[in-house]
Parts: sequence; C-alpha cells; structure tokens
Amino acid sequence: MMLGYLGAGALLAALVMGGFSALLSFWSGIRQSATFIQVGRRAFYAAAAMTFLSAVVLEVALLTHDFSLAYVVEHTDLSTPTALVAAAFYGGQEGSLLYWTVILSVLGSASLLASASLGGRVAAYAAGILASILTFFLFVLAVVASPFDVLSVTPPDGLGLNPILRDGGMLIHPPVVLAGFASFAIPFSFACAALLAGRVDAAWITHTRRFALLAWSLQTAGLLLGMWWAYHVLGWGGYWGWDPVENVALMPWLATTAYLHSSQVQERRGRLRLWNFGLVITAFLLVVFGTFIVRSGVVPSVHTFAISAIGPWFFGFLVVCLLFSALLLTLRSNLGVEAKPAPAVSREGAFVLQNLLLLGVVAVVMWGTVLPLVSGMFGVQRVAGASFYERAAGPLLAAILALLAVGPLLPWRHAGRATLRALRWPVAAAIVTLMVLLIAGVRSAPALVAFPLAAAAGATALTEYARAALRKPRSLLRKRRRYGAYLAHLGLVVAVTGVAASHFGQQERDVTLQPGEAVTVAGYSLTYAGSERRQLTDHTEFVAGMRFGDQTLEPSRATYAGLGGQALTHVAISTTPTADLYVVLAGTNPDGSATFRVFVNPLVIFIWAGGAVIILGVLLGNVGERSAATELARRRIPVTLPA
Amino acid sequence: MRWGLPAAVVAACVGYLIYSASGGATEYYMTVSELQAHAMAGDVRVAGVVQDDVHRSDGLHVTFTEKDGTASMPVQYTGTLPDIFKPGITVVVEGKLGGDGVFHARTLLAKCPSRFSTQPYVK
Repeated sequence: MMLGYLGAGALLAALVMGGFSALLSFWSGIRQSATFIQVGRRAFYAAAAMTFLSAVVLEVALLTHDFSLAYVVEHTDLSTPTALVAAAFYGGQEGSLLYWTVILSVLGSASLLASASLGGRVAAYAAGILASILTFFLFVLAVVASPFDVLSVTPPDGLGLNPILRDGGMLIHPPVVLAGFASFAIPFSFACAALLAGRVDAAWITHTRRFALLAWSLQTAGLLLGMWWAYHVLGWGGYWGWDPVENVALMPWLATTAYLHSSQVQERRGRLRLWNFGLVITAFLLVVFGTFIVRSGVVPSVHTFAISAIGPWFFGFLVVCLLFSALLLTLRSNLGVEAKPAPAVSREGAFVLQNLLLLGVVAVVMWGTVLPLVSGMFGVQRVAGASFYERAAGPLLAAILALLAVGPLLPWRHAGRATLRALRWPVAAAIVTLMVLLIAGVRSAPALVAFPLAAAAGATALTEYARAALRKPRSLLRKRRRYGAYLAHLGLVVAVTGVAASHFGQQERDVTLQPGEAVTVAGYSLTYAGSERRQLTDHTEFVAGMRFGDQTLEPSRATYAGLGGQALTHVAISTTPTADLYVVLAGTNPDGSATFRVFVNPLVIFIWAGGAVIILGVLLGNVGERSAATELARRRIPVTLPA
Repeated sequence: MRWGLPAAVVAACVGYLIYSASGGATEYYMTVSELQAHAMAGDVRVAGVVQDDVHRSDGLHVTFTEKDGTASMPVQYTGTLPDIFKPGITVVVEGKLGGDGVFHARTLLAKCPSRFSTQPYVK
C-alpha cells in the first residue's frame, strides 16, 4: 500500500515539474533569458527523474506481488513466471502508458542535453513543447488512468496474465513498439521549435534526423518483432493482417521513411524545407491518432480494447496538436518559397516522387483504418479486408520498388546519358528474373511485377557497391551513411522477396490423420506419429508428433485449468532454406485421429533476415557518424527569419 | 519544376486506387439483427456472441448459434478455431448467409482479449 502512495506521489511531483518546465521554457524562450532556459531544462530533467522513480515503484510492486494495487492484481498472479511479472509493467493500459512516458522523458532529456548547438531559443521552445507533451501524459497517468490505484480490500492472489501473452515475444515486442511510438515526439518537438523560432538550418536537420532515425529504427524493429510474434504464436499461418493495431504502427513508420529520404534534399540542395517539417509533424500526429484509435475502441479490431476513459483525452490531445501544427506551418509558409525550380529527372525528383508514393500508401492505410468509422456515420459499417489494402497499396508499393532501382542511380540536379548506361544492370536483372519466372510457370501478374522489380532494386545497390569498390575503395568507409543506406536497401529487397514469395506462394491444407498416416503438402511429406498428454505445473499439454525427415515437429494444445480452461495452441515450424513448414494442431478426435492445418510458406526467413540487414545498414551508416554532421553544419549558412 | 503537378497526379492515382478497391474489396460489418433486416448479396462480417450449442464433428468442422441482443442465426464453419473459442465469447464471422438461413463462414475471428482488456477488478 505504501508503494501505491509513493508511486502516485512521484507521478504528481513529475506532473508539477513538467508543467513548470513547459511554462518556464516557453516564457524564457520568448524573453531569451539564458538562465531561465537552463532552469526550464533542469525542471524537465527533474520531471524525468520523478517519472522514472514511479516506474521503479511500479516494477517493485509487481515483483513483490503487492496485491493492494489494482494494477498488480489485474495483470499478474503468484504462479506467473518472474520474467512475465516484470513484463506486466507494460502489459496493461496504465502500465504501458507509464512506460511510454518514461521513454519520452528519458529520450527527451537526452535530446535536450544535445540541443546546445541549436541556439537558445530553439532549445527553449523544444523543451517547452516536450514538457507540454510530457505533462499531458503525466496528467492522464495521475488523474485518468493511474497504475497506482489502491484496492480497498487486498486479495490473496491476482487474476493472472492471459496465456497468449505468456510468451518470450511478450518480453520484447511491446517495449520496442512503445519506445518507437514515444520517440516520435522528439523530432516533432524540435521541428515545431525551429518553426516557432524561425530558424531552419543544417544544425536542425542534423539534430532532428538523429532522433528521427532512432524512432524509425525502433519502429522498424517493433514492426518486425510484432510480425515475428504473430507468425510464431497466433497460428494462422501469416504475419500481417491489416488490423487497425498494425496499421497505426505502420503509418508513422512510412511518414518517417519519407522524411529520412527527403531530408537529404534539404541537406544537399536546401530545398523542401517546409515539406520536411510537415513530414516530421505528420509522423507524430499519426502516432497520436493511432493511440487514440487503438485505445478508444472506435474501430472494430480483432484486438478488443477496454473502453477506457483515456479515449476522449487522447482525442482532445490530437485536436490540440493538429491545430498547433497547422497554425505553425501556415505562419511559416514563407519557408516553402524556393529560389529556382528543380529538374524533374534528378535525384531530388526521385525523392519527391518516393515521398508522394509513401504518403499515398499512408492515405490507403488510413482510409482502410477509418472506413468503419466513416461508413458507420452514413449507414451500415463497412470494413476493409486484406484485399482492399493489396489492391489499393500494391501498385504504389510496386512503384516505390521501381524507384528503389532507379533513384540511387540518378545524379543530383540533372540526369544525362550516363544515367541511362547505369540503368543497364538493374534492367538486365529484371529481365532475367522475369524470364526465369515465366519458364518456371509463374503466371500471376502481381508476382511477375514484384520479383523482377525487387531484382532490379537489388542489382542497383550491388552495382553501386561494385563501382565504389573498383574505383574508390576508400569511399566505402568514408561515405558510411551512403553505403549504410544501400545496405538497408538490400535488406529491404531481401525482405520484400520474402513477403512476395510467402504471399504469392503460400500453400495450405487441412488433414485428419490416424497415427502412422502420412500427408504431402507442396512436396513436403509429414507422418503423424501419435500424440501424448503432458501434465505441467499450471497447464496440461496435448502434444502431437509429426515426423518430417529425421526431425519430429511437435504442434500442441495447452489447456490452462486455472484460467477457466483457456486453451493455447503452439505452432510447430520447421524452417528449410526455401520454405517454412508450419503445422497447427486443430484438434483431436475420439477415434484417435488428429486434425492438422499444414501451411507451406516460402522464404519467410527472408523477411526476418532482410529486416535484420536493414537495421544493420542503418546502424553501420549512422552510429558514431560525426564527421558528416559537423561538415554539414560548417557548409551551410544558417537561414534565419525574422520572428 | 514545381511539385504541384506530380503531387496532383499521384494524388489522383491514389484516389482512384482507393475508390476502385473500396468497391470490390470492402465488406459490410454488422450485427446478426442488422443482417436479418437487410439481405446482403456479397460477403459480410457479422459480430455476435457464441451460444451454448457448439457442436464439433472433428477438429475442423463446427456449427453453433451466434446471437446479438435480439436475433440469432446458425453458423457453419470449417477451419481452425481460435484458442479462446467457446460459448460466451464474441466472434466475427466472415461469409454468406445461405438460402437455408445458415451462415456459411469462410473465416472466424475471436475478439482477442488483448493486453489492454482485462476485466477491471472490483474496486
């Protein structure tokens, strides 16, 4: 009970410090008072420290099974393994909000520490905006959805964690996704601060890009881990279902992908300044929108979310952020005036087109997500199935893939004959792939577009490496950012190949087998060896043995007696270099037979491997990359506008 | 070159893609009583609560009654069932209402009790 009061007290202290920091930072930014700017920033650090303290308190309460707290009772019980008790910190509504707030306050502090080079006013406004966002979250935590609510009667045991969440993936996927979501606030704050102060220079881009890259990397990892988790745990044979929860995580990622590319146009050519601000702001607004959608239950989802009191608060927050950003962008629209138009066929042109296409995908995903809401207002609700997203976003994704092959070969400013010559390798790769597919008997038009384009994009990245290695081997190390980016492109090509192969080539079969009987799916032969019952501490497992070559796959069903007999299916997956054999035990029958659903999913491992390469490329290209930043700051003359 | 023209072209393409996909690839999402009030030709998704009469002939074939506040309908489904499927939970079935009054479900989704939905403990 003491812990409850301590945690609530720490939250309240953080709220007061956060609000103080917000007001003081804005005021001192306007007055340009260096001392008070410093004080405002320190108040932010203090709020961060108090938030962190409350998080420690909640974690201690969970680990010591302090059942006087409603949150501990609702999400754990005495039989929950310790690692999962610790993970329950971000396993529930209130705790996940607290986790989000902690990440926001810690990353926010780090970004403010690093903000000295931006000048006093930008740093002060950024602190003010960050502190305002932090204050909003702390207010929701302290007043609307507190993880420290104390029960009037302390029960002897808790309600426990849903078995589907009792999985290793639970330890890693949610914290990465939530950290990704939280970190989008930092580029947003610095973008708005620079707009408020009327300062748009290379230092802003360098600082914002670093944190946008961090948010993007976390979100990339979070999306991949979510797909991996869904694939290995949920047992429907796929990894992406276009559920609103997935969609809202994808949209800010797409907008930030656009920003990471278009910011180079500003760095190199001084163009697209207002556009870049718009992208950073859009990414954050999409995060707030997504949080509202997901936590308020306004759209039907496979995930049911508690109709909680935080929905209206997030809606209000979204409206405020939207109005504030729109006002800022309108006030500073003079930044968008560009001296001279750029030629269409150039690197800049490719980046702009890529940006437009990515935003097109965002529009498709957004429409699919809000369709039930919009159609519900005018009659019977409609929902968008997977085929809506495939038909509407598919052509846009194909165009992006084509740009991935052409864009890196285009020079800045003007493209000449040399570009056409450089295109011969990607074009050759596409033609060869198309031939191979046609000879192999592939007739699906989308597949005949996707694979050759992926091959072309891969060929482009490889020829860039080859050219550098032959002519200027040292540039591979010197221009780390560039060659890191090509590695990320290669990773994307590998992942896209995996997505396309498993999408177009998935085979599935339902079979009922007696012990000793065999089935063949897509050339893979499986023999049902029989099944056994295993009694474990908190659940019973029914395990079927499936012989595949010299290995035995063990799909199973577990039943948790303590949780009203809830069942949990464990998928068995055998990964070969060309395909995953994915076996689900659908049920057992009185005559001793068992029913299975068997999937053969080609090249799924390419998705995970490609994802890892993307993140590796971003890390190799950017971690410790200091020279480029300082060089940029030296080369660019700051553009200062009258405030 | 100004960016207005390419932006307009891309926006028009995106608009067309969304419009054309909306026609064929979206489905009505309704309750049992709404489905019975409007007969639908194409596939629909229907949400309702699973009643006690669940009958499984083997691991893959199942029949049950789905009910909302007022109306109910028999459902026939072949495929793997979600782990949490049992009487009393809310499911969303996707398929067609047959002439025999039986709903033939192509997919069956259970409303997943997610991280954010534990029943609040009585405070």
